Amino acid sequence: MESVKSRNNIVVSYLLIGGFTILVMIIFGILMLLSQGGVLDLSPSMFYQFLTIHGTGMVGAAAIASAGIMGYFLSKYVNLSKNVMTLNLILFLIGVVMVIIGVFSFEYAGSWTFLYPLPQLSANAWGIVGALLYLFGMLILGAGFLLFYLDAGRAIMKHYGSLAKGLGWDVISGKKTDDRAPSSTVVASTMVIIVNVTAITAGATVLIMNAIHVINPAFTVDPLLAKNLTYAFGHIFANSIIYMGVIAVYEILQEYTKRPWKINKVFLIAWTMSTVFTLLIYTHHLLMDSVMPAWMLIMGQALSYANGLPVLVVTAYGALMIVYKSGIRWDVGSGLIYVSMFGWVVGVVPAIVDATIVVNQVMHNTKWVPGHFHMYMALGACAMIFGFMYYIAKQDSDIKTTIMDRFAFAGYTLSILGLSGSLLVSGALGTPRRWASHLPEWMAPAVFGGIAGILGMLSVAVFIVHFVRFIRRRKKMVSGNAFDDQQLA
Amino acid sequence: MQLILYGTMLFVLLIIPPVRNAMESVMVVHMLVQMPLLILSGWLMAGECQSRFERFLASWNANGTAGILLVILITIYWMIPRTLDEALVTWYIELFKFVSLPFLVGFPLRNSWKKLASLTKGFIVFNYISMFGLLAWIYIDAPVRVCNSYLEADQKILGWGFLMIMVSLILYMLQYVFMDHSEASS
Repeated sequence: MESVKSRNNIVVSYLLIGGFTILVMIIFGILMLLSQGGVLDLSPSMFYQFLTIHGTGMVGAAAIASAGIMGYFLSKYVNLSKNVMTLNLILFLIGVVMVIIGVFSFEYAGSWTFLYPLPQLSANAWGIVGALLYLFGMLILGAGFLLFYLDAGRAIMKHYGSLAKGLGWDVISGKKTDDRAPSSTVVASTMVIIVNVTAITAGATVLIMNAIHVINPAFTVDPLLAKNLTYAFGHIFANSIIYMGVIAVYEILQEYTKRPWKINKVFLIAWTMSTVFTLLIYTHHLLMDSVMPAWMLIMGQALSYANGLPVLVVTAYGALMIVYKSGIRWDVGSGLIYVSMFGWVVGVVPAIVDATIVVNQVMHNTKWVPGHFHMYMALGACAMIFGFMYYIAKQDSDIKTTIMDRFAFAGYTLSILGLSGSLLVSGALGTPRRWASHLPEWMAPAVFGGIAGILGMLSVAVFIVHFVRFIRRRKKMVSGNAFDDQQLA
Repeated sequence: MQLILYGTMLFVLLIIPPVRNAMESVMVVHMLVQMPLLILSGWLMAGECQSRFERFLASWNANGTAGILLVILITIYWMIPRTLDEALVTWYIELFKFVSLPFLVGFPLRNSWKKLASLTKGFIVFNYISMFGLLAWIYIDAPVRVCNSYLEADQKILGWGFLMIMVSLILYMLQYVFMDHSEASS
């Protein structure tokens, strides 16, 4: 059994590395927007390197930080391996270093989706070494996450008997009563384990396929197979970040309101539905591929509509109910957690619009889509992560928030609304995404987005400073008390 | 003791030239029947033999890591298409196949698997799932004959064979994680 301090040290490392990486990646995002807006003059090759590192870094950083959330709360119910969490972090850092060298030293700029045959087909913009560093960096990073999820799955199976019981199927089937259902944390973690192990296995396969193609271009891959595998990895892995982050919503709101988040059959069915839908809806990334089987495209649209509902509605409704007349004392942490529900609910709407085949034909390659995922990820998933950072700081130390933190909370919310709004407007204007150069009539929203991004960067910097202050304060506190002796679970 | 006998009989059967030639004349049988059977023969023989090497195994394969690494390295080697060709035309590679698969894969697999933590087992299985998926693609989609001794049609059949194994492994893992193990563990 790990001590609280020992466990939290790893979680704090996950959050610090994740949070700091997000801050750096925001800077690349701002530079790209200002370049598109004509304020800066980035060379196209530099722009696409920034695009690649921004996407990879944001998804990776948010994934590692939200894995920290999952690890922190899941440890309350099952016995996770501290060594595996540490190994995941080490492999993550090795992978990140390889990706950074591949992108900046060898100029790999094939975007975080590494869509076949782009890693090989660079028109001499980058060479074999850059592509291989990127692909194998991602592979190592994925291996770390695979270990983390397999260990979490092992721990849940050991405690509950099976992943089916982790999802509460015995409660759904009536074999157990609602009060004996697994906690929301266990249910969400089980869902994430199932979808992410699938995603990483698909990702490993397509990464090696790409690597073989880079080394020997004579070995080709069916591009449609490659794209299916790529998005089966990319969509699911990115999507799962919010499902790990939402664990913080369940746990923190229960604690702040001093009310239990009751688990019932509707909640469990919603999570089971989301498990299945999340695995299947990646096809909404392929709606423009006319050679895809029609049934898969129709499934992509229908299930994307459906996936927006179960967990989101159950969670958002639950969050409203648990807070209603609870006498909750709001602070920056709970505020961020609550605003994350807003970001999730609102951010999913443009995605559902884009998942409509006729709309997708027009909008998918515009900035409408970045508009969706900036709202969804930044105001949804990242707000959960930053909210959790404030929560853990409050739990583990006596640190107080300042007026700067409250300003940062407001600044972050406004900046993401401004940034996402500008991207959605750009999309509505028909501005293409992933383009280094913009026509003059596309530039104004990009500049607005860049300025909003600067406000976001400053706000996140305040969040990180608060977290670093907490770490320093905690070190002093721990040396003088019996904190180490507390036991988990 | 009976298992050692079965293992030895299977091994001898696989060595008999007409059986060996018949199996190696069809690519999918060579890769997906002969080789797994060689591993099986080693696995069967390992049963009682392990006790004879108890001290050696305790010092060199205490937690199963060394043994399973050997298994992974040897199986990866035999997944490379040109090794099939070489086994057919070079006598010492053929000899290596008949020695390595039973004694460097089957034997250590039996000794190591039960010693491994469930996490390691899961990681290995998922690695093989993606490796078999990759091999399925290579053999089905390769633009050229990857083995001189076999036709392109043969390698496509082999690719589908790998795909079947991959699907079987996925189904096995699915039933494993969704089956209730709480009674078994208690």
